[in-house]
Parts: sequence; C-alpha cells; structure tokens
Amino acid sequence: MKEVNHDSLPYQDHKIVTHNLTKRFGNLCAVDQLSLSVGNEIFGLVGPNGSGKTTTVLMLTTLLGATSGDATVCGYDVQTHPRKVRESISYVPQDMAVDVRLSGRENVMMFAELYGVSDPREKTEEALRVLELSDRADELAKVYSGGMRRRLELAQALVHNPQVLFLDEPTVGLDVAARKKIWEHIRTLRNAGSAIFVTTHYLDEAEKYCDRVAIIDRGVLKAIDTPKNLKSLISQDIISVSITGTFHEIIVPGVRFAFVEDENLIFYAEHGESALPLIKDALSESGICVDTMSLRRPSLDDVFLHLVGTVEDSTPFKLSTFRNMMGRRG
Amino acid sequence: MNPILVYCRRDLIRWVRGRWGLISAMVMPAAWLIFVGLALPIRFTDNYIDFVTPGILAMTILSASLAGGGLLILDRMLGFFNKFLALPPPRESILFGKILVITIRGIVQSTIILVFAFLLGAHVYSPIQLLGTYFILFIFGVLLSAAATTVAIYVDDHDQYAAVNAMVSMPIFFTSSAMMPYDVMPAWLSPIAHLNPLSFAIDGIRILQTGVIPLTQIGLLSSLCVCVVGLAVHAFRKVKI
Repeated sequence: MKEVNHDSLPYQDHKIVTHNLTKRFGNLCAVDQLSLSVGNEIFGLVGPNGSGKTTTVLMLTTLLGATSGDATVCGYDVQTHPRKVRESISYVPQDMAVDVRLSGRENVMMFAELYGVSDPREKTEEALRVLELSDRADELAKVYSGGMRRRLELAQALVHNPQVLFLDEPTVGLDVAARKKIWEHIRTLRNAGSAIFVTTHYLDEAEKYCDRVAIIDRGVLKAIDTPKNLKSLISQDIISVSITGTFHEIIVPGVRFAFVEDENLIFYAEHGESALPLIKDALSESGICVDTMSLRRPSLDDVFLHLVGTVEDSTPFKLSTFRNMMGRRG
Repeated sequence: MNPILVYCRRDLIRWVRGRWGLISAMVMPAAWLIFVGLALPIRFTDNYIDFVTPGILAMTILSASLAGGGLLILDRMLGFFNKFLALPPPRESILFGKILVITIRGIVQSTIILVFAFLLGAHVYSPIQLLGTYFILFIFGVLLSAAATTVAIYVDDHDQYAAVNAMVSMPIFFTSSAMMPYDVMPAWLSPIAHLNPLSFAIDGIRILQTGVIPLTQIGLLSSLCVCVVGLAVHAFRKVKI
C-alpha cells in the first residue's frame, strides 16, 4: 500500500485511506487525485456546492466506481471488496429517506435485519434509546419532525455498530437546536470508537465539531488539518473596511490587502488593534472615505474564503495571495 | 430474516397502509371485469365472461407489474435506493424483494377478479385449474415485475416511467388474445398476438379450462422468465448511480 502522510496516526488506525482517488464525468473532473486518510475521528469534508463532496462519499460507500486511484475502508478496497466495505459502514445520504408509513421502531428494525445483526430487536431498542426516540417509537415516522427524522436515520445507521459512518450533510434543513443535538450524537459515536466522515457546507459546525477538516474545491483538496491549524493558516487578524470611492493599493507596514468580500476590503494585519488607525490614515491620504471598520480573529469561514474564494475572487491578485499563503506554510 | 423478505415486507406494509393504492387495486380489476365482461355489446364466444376472465387476470398482472416498477423509481427519487445499495445484503435481494411484493400484489388483485368472475356467472374452476391458473400468473408476474423493476433503474424519474408504462401496456394488451379469440382477429393481428407473452399466459389459463395442462405456454413463460430474471440480476449487480 502506498504511504499517505497527512497525519501521524499509525497506519492500522486508518479507517479510510484514499490515494489519488479520481472521478471524471466526461470532461468534468468531479474529484481530482484526492489523497487522504481518516482515523477514529470526526472528519469533515467541506467545500462549496458541486465541489465533489458527495461524489467522494459515493465512491467511498461503493455506490460509484472511481475513474482512477484507489480507496480502502476498514482495510478493504472499495472496488474489489465492496461487500466487505458495506458490512463495515453505514451511510446516511442527504435526502432524509425514512419510511413515513412505518413507525420509528419498524424503520430501525428493518435496517437491523438488513444489516443481519444477531439480535435485531435488542439492537433496535438500544439505537432508539441512544437517539432519544424510544418514547415515540410506535408512532408513524410521518408525524416526526425534521430533527427526529434525521435522528431516526442515525438510529438506522447505528444499529449494527458500524466502524465507519458516512454522513452527507447531516444537519441540512434543521433548526439550530436540532443541529446541535445531531452533532452531540455524532460526538458520542466518535467517543465510542467510530470513524465519522461528514460532509457539510456549514463551516461554523465543521469548526466547532470536527476533529479535522478537509477543504475541497472543484474536486481538488485545498487543505487538510485541524480547524485550529487551518485557522492559523491566516495567522493574522482580519480587518474589514467599507469605503466610498475607488480603492488603490495602500502601503502600511504589517498589513496586507487580501481580497474584496461583499464590497468590504479585507486586510490581514499582524497587530490588528494598532493597524486600524494606520489603515484609516493611509486610506484617507489616498482620498478614500472610510465608512466602517471592524476587526476580528480569523474563523474557518475566512480560511475557506481564502483557499476557495468565490468566482469573482479568482483574479490574479487573489491568486498571488493564495500562493503567498501556501508558500509560507510550506 | 432473509433480506428479500425484509424488503418485501416493507413495501407490503407501505401498500396496505397507503390505503388508496389498496382501494384502487381492489376496484380497478372489478371495474374491468364488469365493463368488459358484462357491458360490452360484443360477443366473440358463447360465454364471454368465461372467455374474457383469463384475459383480465393476465392484464391485471401486467398492469400491477408495470405499476410496480414505480416502487423502485420512488425509492430512487427519495434516496432509499442509495441507502439500500450501501447495505451488506447482495444487491439482487432488492430486486427479488420487489419481484415478490409486486407479484403478491398482482395475485391479490387476480384473486378478487376470480371471485367477481365466479359471482358474475363464470364457471367455477376446479382446485387443479385454480392451482394451474395461479402458477401461470405467478410466473408471468415474476417475468414482468423483473422487467419493470430493471427498466426502473435506467429511467430518470416518475414522469418518464409513467410514459414508458403507458407506451408499453396498452399495445401489449390489445395485441394479445385477451379480448378476442385468434380466429376472429384481423389477419395482421393474429401472428402478433401469437408472439405476445401476455397471450402465452392467457392461452395457458384458457387451455387449463379445457382440462389440458398447457405445457407449451408454461414452458415459454418459464424460459422467458429465467432469461429476464437473469438479465435483471446482472443489471442489479453492476448498478452504479
């Protein structure tokens, strides 16, 4: 097996290992040479819509064949030993597919039987209890709220104690309280020794709950690390300035212009507090009227914007900052 | 529990609890039998209800099977299919579960037709004839539901499937021996009707009424069934989404 050196886990602890995993649909390269490894952790794959997150999950869950490269889950190659992979995993797709005409218990029981667990009845009760659905297990899933349906899906997925759990956008469409609850359950699972592979485009959630995050854009892996380390990619403070007038490059020691976001100028500054008045003065000198200024610590959102950007941001200037950033890191 | 039975039970529960599906399944065949068997002003044979009952039975299996393909379409559209494909049981158990549930549905409907037919004056079948009839309907149901479920993997969505269904079901019905005997058919229709698998099932059931075991028809249907199920299993094993 080729070595993958994204983290320091011993090899046998890697539940998921991919090496140059690639999927093309005609001319479109949905996933491009993806190499990563995941241990017993909550691993978040984040990226804009259409960046290849779901395609990656489909390949890892044996639903889609790869164009090239390889992937193993729990030591089994997804292409050559799909049945073995399916025995080790659970997959909860984005769609929230629970049978509304079946009761909560029947929904879970069905999966217990399909997974072939030895004591389906007990395992069903246990999964329902863990996901706090026991009270309403006899009601048809039709009357369940969105959050309950998602928990019911998690109960279905947990009923056979999977080694790896794939969750595609587990919190999409849920209210804040329901999301928090789902993530708490995911954490409990991680603590019980499962590897959790989550895709999400809620960066705040990824930052808060994932042990490691991979940022993917147009099929290409941009960065992979803990949220904390990713944030240190942008080691400086972030200053956002809204102005009236046309912006020209200004020169302030310790401050670098990054990009324009929602008509605000974003600067990275080594010492935010002292840089604020300097930036104001420099802008005023070049005839620009400053409307508002704000200072904040970088969040995963900033890292994401920095690495992925938006369509408008793919200007030469943005690219050069991107290169600087990557260069400094390496 | 065998995964095939788990999949089958799931769809059966959904069918029974769905209410309208069940009601329609009960009313539709009865309506056909009454309107075609009693109300139509044509009489190709002496006891037309005796003649047309096998046709309506086989047609019921046909429409139940084609409609049954929609089960997989819905599973695909709602995301169940992806979940099932990622489960450990062999993928063809999804297929066999569908075949089983669709055929059971067809057989339940056929039973209602038979009861109605007997009430409306058809000659009551002997136990052997009943057994033979059910056997033919079962093979025919497996054949058609395997075909419909496999087509459902490749068709995009529900609308598309409904279009395919409509396109296939009516010509098959009217080019079969369901409504009229071969000797009163137009000359161009008779050879087509002879090759129509729906006719195999209908003729088989009619031959049973004469006290003969229709080995040719059963043989043809069985061979066709084995081929189609074989292809369907192959399609399910290599399915990628």
